Amino acid sequence: MSILLPKPMKYKFFTPGVIVITIFALVGIAFVLGRFVFGIGAITNLDNQYPWGIWIGLDVALGVALAAGGFTTAALAHIFHKEEYETIVRPALLTALLGYTFAAASVSIDIGRWYYIWHALIYWNGNSALFEVGICVMMYLTVLYIEFLPIVTERFIGHVNLPGILSKLNNVIDKGLRILDRTLSKFMFVFIITGVVLSCLHQSSLGTLMIIAGDKMHPLWQTPILPLLYLVSAIGVGFPMVMFESVISSRAFRLKPETHILEKLSEMMPPLLGVFIIIRSVDILIREAYVYLAEFSSVSIMFSIELIVGFVLPLRLFMSKEVRKSPNMLFIASSLVIFGVFMNRFNTFITAYTPPYADYSYFPSIGEISVTLGFVALEVLLYRAFVMIFPVISVPTEEKSAKTKYAIRGILR
Amino acid sequence: MKNQSRRDFLKITTISATALVGASATKLFASGNPTSSIDPMGVLVDTTVCIGCRKCEWACKKAHNIDTKPIEDYDNRSAFENYRRPDHTSLTVVNEFRNPTAESKPYDVKVQCMHCNEPACVSACIVGAMTKQENGSVIWDTDKCIGCRFCMVACPFQIPTFEYHKALQPDITKCDFCFERTKEALLPACVEICPVEAVTYGKRSELLKLAKKRINLYPERYKEHILGEHEVGGTSWMYLAGMDFDKLKFPKLSTKAAPGVSEAIQHGIFSYFVPPASLFALLGGIMWLNKNKSKSEPDTE
Amino acid sequence: MKIISMIIIILSTGLFAQEKPHFVTQELQCSTCHTCEVPTKNNPCVRECIREYLVSVKHSAKEAPENILINRFEKIENIYQPVHFTHQLHAEMSHLAGGCQTCHHYNPPGRILTCIECHETGRKREDISKPDLKAAYHRQCIDCHRGWSHEINCVSCHAMNEGKPSNIDTKPMPKTVHPEIKTPERMVINTEYANGKIVTFNHKEHVDLFGLECQSCHSQESCIKCHDKNPDKLKSKMVHETHENCASCHDTDNNCSSCHAQKEKPGFDHGQRTGWQLNKLHSKLSCSSCHQKKGVFTGLKSKCSNCHDSWSSENFDHAITGLRLDEIHLENECADCHIDDNFTKPSCGNCHDDIEYPDFMPGTLTK
Repeated sequence: MSILLPKPMKYKFFTPGVIVITIFALVGIAFVLGRFVFGIGAITNLDNQYPWGIWIGLDVALGVALAAGGFTTAALAHIFHKEEYETIVRPALLTALLGYTFAAASVSIDIGRWYYIWHALIYWNGNSALFEVGICVMMYLTVLYIEFLPIVTERFIGHVNLPGILSKLNNVIDKGLRILDRTLSKFMFVFIITGVVLSCLHQSSLGTLMIIAGDKMHPLWQTPILPLLYLVSAIGVGFPMVMFESVISSRAFRLKPETHILEKLSEMMPPLLGVFIIIRSVDILIREAYVYLAEFSSVSIMFSIELIVGFVLPLRLFMSKEVRKSPNMLFIASSLVIFGVFMNRFNTFITAYTPPYADYSYFPSIGEISVTLGFVALEVLLYRAFVMIFPVISVPTEEKSAKTKYAIRGILR
Repeated sequence: MKNQSRRDFLKITTISATALVGASATKLFASGNPTSSIDPMGVLVDTTVCIGCRKCEWACKKAHNIDTKPIEDYDNRSAFENYRRPDHTSLTVVNEFRNPTAESKPYDVKVQCMHCNEPACVSACIVGAMTKQENGSVIWDTDKCIGCRFCMVACPFQIPTFEYHKALQPDITKCDFCFERTKEALLPACVEICPVEAVTYGKRSELLKLAKKRINLYPERYKEHILGEHEVGGTSWMYLAGMDFDKLKFPKLSTKAAPGVSEAIQHGIFSYFVPPASLFALLGGIMWLNKNKSKSEPDTE
Repeated sequence: MKIISMIIIILSTGLFAQEKPHFVTQELQCSTCHTCEVPTKNNPCVRECIREYLVSVKHSAKEAPENILINRFEKIENIYQPVHFTHQLHAEMSHLAGGCQTCHHYNPPGRILTCIECHETGRKREDISKPDLKAAYHRQCIDCHRGWSHEINCVSCHAMNEGKPSNIDTKPMPKTVHPEIKTPERMVINTEYANGKIVTFNHKEHVDLFGLECQSCHSQESCIKCHDKNPDKLKSKMVHETHENCASCHDTDNNCSSCHAQKEKPGFDHGQRTGWQLNKLHSKLSCSSCHQKKGVFTGLKSKCSNCHDSWSSENFDHAITGLRLDEIHLENECADCHIDDNFTKPSCGNCHDDIEYPDFMPGTLTK
């Protein structure tokens, strides 16, 4: 009887693909350094009319949305206690961890006074949606790191092996890790629930952000239910993100795709996407914003691509049994949902935002795009490094010594 | 979870929930702007009186220690060739518009912060660096600001600007209604220098009366619209004009206060932390039920 | 003690309240300045002195102060020096623009008020309903000056104050007088009206014959009318705009041919136009002396009794016609000689068979 157990991947780190990604990461880092030396104006196309660009609209808003898999799988596996999903919890958790870390990093490079970012912790303004996003993201990031700790302890308990003089500490550290592990397992459920609550709060508040822009937002996106749409779309993109990654890492590490779990996950997609499409359409109908669709403009095109290619098309795909059984098709469908949410975030933050005194449109500079791509590249590299160091991805094992643990463990097949 | 007794679980859930509720500082989510007085000071800008001498730009820079050319240079009217917006080099600018009825008397329109009664920037600012003062001024606190530029996204008049060229300590810049001067019972610099008093400083209520009187007396001179009387919930600075305001490049705005919807959502989600705490309790409950269910079922291991 | 002081206070306020009304010697309605029926000291209910309650009085430019140095705001730290204002010159120039009230817009009978009597000197003030003095001055000056020179440069009136203590030349400016404005005799205007391209405007006639004042047509015309340094190319005016000046007397809507013709029109000739030649006495009269109904110039019969209905042989001094009647003829009734109301040529036939006027005179010629 083989069971699925998370193991560090044994694989060569650098492959030709990884080297290309590393180059992207380095270019991104170079531009980040440029931003710190020469200021935001030198690197970006931002100005007084367009104060926010893709670093907020994509790196933060989209990044946080795509990291939603972390809380949706945690809720599924632990709160609703569907143990069969345990194997996807750890990869999703790692994605969320990296996603939020880089969202925070993007915020840090986007704000003018990055060295004052801690001000958000001491000067509170409860009226501000951004304050809510900021404080929730900071708290959730902490929660994510705590949730990840058991993976670290699991990796090192019984394997602490410091060289030289430090070897005397081996025993102490090992003991400490064991105590930490036990304590964590006792309180982990608090963090899991907190994580879900925090996610619901800030995923929606990300939508609240642009509401205050009022008439500067195009009516197709400016709606008081923007927070609800953001929450629903974040929940909706969580599982596609997990499927997307699962398929990619199974390719990368030559593993058999976990078709069984992916199929079960994809069964949940039609209702999730359906709910979003219905809310979005009803909202457009009630506010009579559909009049803007009658005209042929970049705005109406962007809206149509967002809704049809990004939500309706994958909905149709996920409804088909053949698609749900094929990892390749699931990959395509998931990519479409990710693209849909990408478009949605891009449109709300960039396309819809029309400042009153700009006779030009904002388009991200090479620097901005490089930094965004660089951060994605770094996430990919770190993900690869983490799964090679820590037991994140589950592989079939004959081992029987599965640790009994609350948060993360394999199950019997 | 297996090692978790039911009692422990309940206890911790309850404690956490109470702790969250307890943490809700009532002050934090107090609605509105308690600091703004009922009748703040304001300025009435009469664009039909303004002659576009741009002395206000000069005086403003002097008052705010911004580099400026000598005052004689401001007589050069080539500055009107392009439409300009305030930025860190000039917190107020004057633009000129053709007067279709009298070629020799163009309309000159001074632009600066409107000092909204319910400012979007104050509502938006993540660290509360923007504040509405009792005398009507909306001012910015350099010691708090983190440079996130959400105020710029929020402002319905697109007024706050940012020093993009600075790598260190970039400022958000905007008209501060000469807060430092008015504190010492001085007039705002632009009001003081204006040769024709196109900008009248006074209590907002009295300015409104004055504006209405002018419209009544000279209906052929003014449009029957005081910009800022109702726009975005009213502003401290108000405008009179002889042309529709959108032709003078003012944005068309509703009378709803700019932060209204956003704050309503914020306060709704966070009303004393009850909704998040309830969600927390609900999820805890679901978790507990599912836990017990799986416990009562034959163990899979 | 308290009671006594109370009584004093009440009495004194009462006395004040019944103070003799001021302005009573001037021809002014109480309601021009006061909003309530019975103004008292405590509640004077005075209207603010603003343009809407304008009361005008005319003064000649000669009476005005010649030059004024506006140094009310003089301070060492001022950027600009005070302005020498050639008041009398401006007063003369205002002749076509409505006179003193062009600037002195609140202008009650009697003395003309100076700006400072209504406009406060400080910008920071309680009553913001009127502009302060600095603004009032600037608005008055710039309003005309920018129309005329298209400039609002401070230095066109002010000298720069180079940071020195003001060493302003306080000598009066040399007296400058606006040259006499020459009035055109007649103007021939080419119009686009097909049925009558030419309008002949007899300016002199309108002034001399019809007795129009300059202001009757040239009201509210600022210096720009003549002095625009950079006049916009002849703007195509709307029809009603060009007719505006004439329309107050002429029916421009219906009676086109009274002004528009295919060729130049001669001046107005009462005899030619009406068949009733004005004699030298009548030609001195203004139109309205006979045509008393305003704007109506028809309907008068050529009978003298139309106007002179009280004249009879007893009270009419025939000498003013240039012929003093002798004693015999003084006895006659008017109609005895002026048969059929013909007052130009008398007929002697009623009494005499062989005598004809003017071979024989019924008296002596006075000139």
